[in-house]
Amino acid sequence: MRTAHEFDSNPGLPIAFGLALFFAGSAAHAEEAPPPRRLSLLVAATEWGLAQLIPSPLLVTGASHVGGGLRWQVTPLLYSFGIAERPVRLFLVSPIARHSGSVELHLSPEWACCAPNAQQSWLARAGLRLYLPLLEHGEVLSWSVGSSYYRAAGTDGLAGDLGLYTFSGVLGLNVTVSPTLTRREVMSVLTLRYF
Amino acid sequence: MRLSHALVLALGGSLLSCGFPGRALSRNLAAPPTRSVANKIRDPRRADARLSVLWVGHATVLVQMDDLFVLTDPVFTHTLGQISPRLVEPGLDPANVPALAAVVVSHMHFDHLSFASLDMIEQKTPLVLVPPGVRANMPRYAFEIRELGRWASYEAHGLRVTAVPVQHVGGRYGIDEAFETRAFTGYVFEYHGLSVYFGGDTAYAPAAFRATRQRFPNLSLALLPICPNLPRGYMQRTHVAPAGALDAFALLGAQQLVPIHFDTFINSDDAPGACPAELRRQMQARGLGNDRVSILDFGQQRVLIAK
Repeated sequence: MRTAHEFDSNPGLPIAFGLALFFAGSAAHAEEAPPPRRLSLLVAATEWGLAQLIPSPLLVTGASHVGGGLRWQVTPLLYSFGIAERPVRLFLVSPIARHSGSVELHLSPEWACCAPNAQQSWLARAGLRLYLPLLEHGEVLSWSVGSSYYRAAGTDGLAGDLGLYTFSGVLGLNVTVSPTLTRREVMSVLTLRYF
Repeated sequence: MRLSHALVLALGGSLLSCGFPGRALSRNLAAPPTRSVANKIRDPRRADARLSVLWVGHATVLVQMDDLFVLTDPVFTHTLGQISPRLVEPGLDPANVPALAAVVVSHMHFDHLSFASLDMIEQKTPLVLVPPGVRANMPRYAFEIRELGRWASYEAHGLRVTAVPVQHVGGRYGIDEAFETRAFTGYVFEYHGLSVYFGGDTAYAPAAFRATRQRFPNLSLALLPICPNLPRGYMQRTHVAPAGALDAFALLGAQQLVPIHFDTFINSDDAPGACPAELRRQMQARGLGNDRVSILDFGQQRVLIAK
């Protein structure tokens, strides 16, 4: 334990003590709440990226078979006409910006499998989709209509789709019709989408 | 591949079915029918009041300050996010909400920012005040939506509303908490020498309460949340408990306290009635009576300062 003499013998201590008192006094006069947490781009990007990895299960139906698959989707560009501010969104799209009324450019890799005697296959799709709100600014119910261009091994073509969404767009059903795409003429997608 | 699918499904199912989120979901699914409120007030304007409050439910409070009204965090819907049903109907019908000077929204969570509820009162207010980052997450309305950063004020017709610090989280959908780091606030309304603190949703944040008191040393009233309380380890980062609400009341130095944010929706492990009961116990232990703390029933209006 240090004694009073030891404190007296250290000329820096009284000064430090005085400074501490001064700043403590200042703090008492200007109490300030802690600043808000700073945005961590790494955390935000990681969480957004993980959300994009959530796949939507596909039910693939053709003229003579039924199969399964997964679809992912990313939105490089969206224009929202239902939102109060910042109508243009790049990649990071809040559900209300999309489902309150918007047009989006979407990119979708798809992987199909599970059809009897069918090989696994990948497909890339790019398209435009219009979202319109039905109930509570689209949070409770919204619908969409879209068209897309796809490329798969050895083939490409056009497709159209219709969708219905609920729970802020987290859950939906989208039906994509590709008349010229063998083995994937109709794809029904249980859309699971979080941002 | 089928094995990996099964593992993902099992993991997701486990997360949903166990722990606090699973319990909250189960309790919401088993919630009783919404209880009605008898003898609801049709005309909340009180000619005898300088300051009165009407608790609509949860964080929705109609505050009368002399001749004007401010409404906090309006939620009149029967569910939150289509999942959580309302336990008790709103204590004031939206059709009977008077002309408002302003609406304040503390943050974006479903139990505080309800787009459908704002639809119901769209023609009754010229202005909705929100914290930074919220406007870009709201649909278009007829009223003006204005963001107020910390300590910023809005002033019109003698009313001044100032955004004050609280401790909570922003975002609406979960992961956007990481993006919306400033999208939560409390407010102080000042009018004709009256001043009302609205805490919205807050954890126990002594520095924030002290800083608010330094700027607003004569608060007439504090509206402070007292729930959700349990599980405490999960809630304490964002929600003040009844004892903490009384501590906050003391730090704010307000003359009166009206507790809010309890018994309206299921968003915790607290049984209905547990939070106000705990508040009463804490009041008794501290010698606080009904002259300082008014625990209102749904739809109950109380004149706190008479003319």
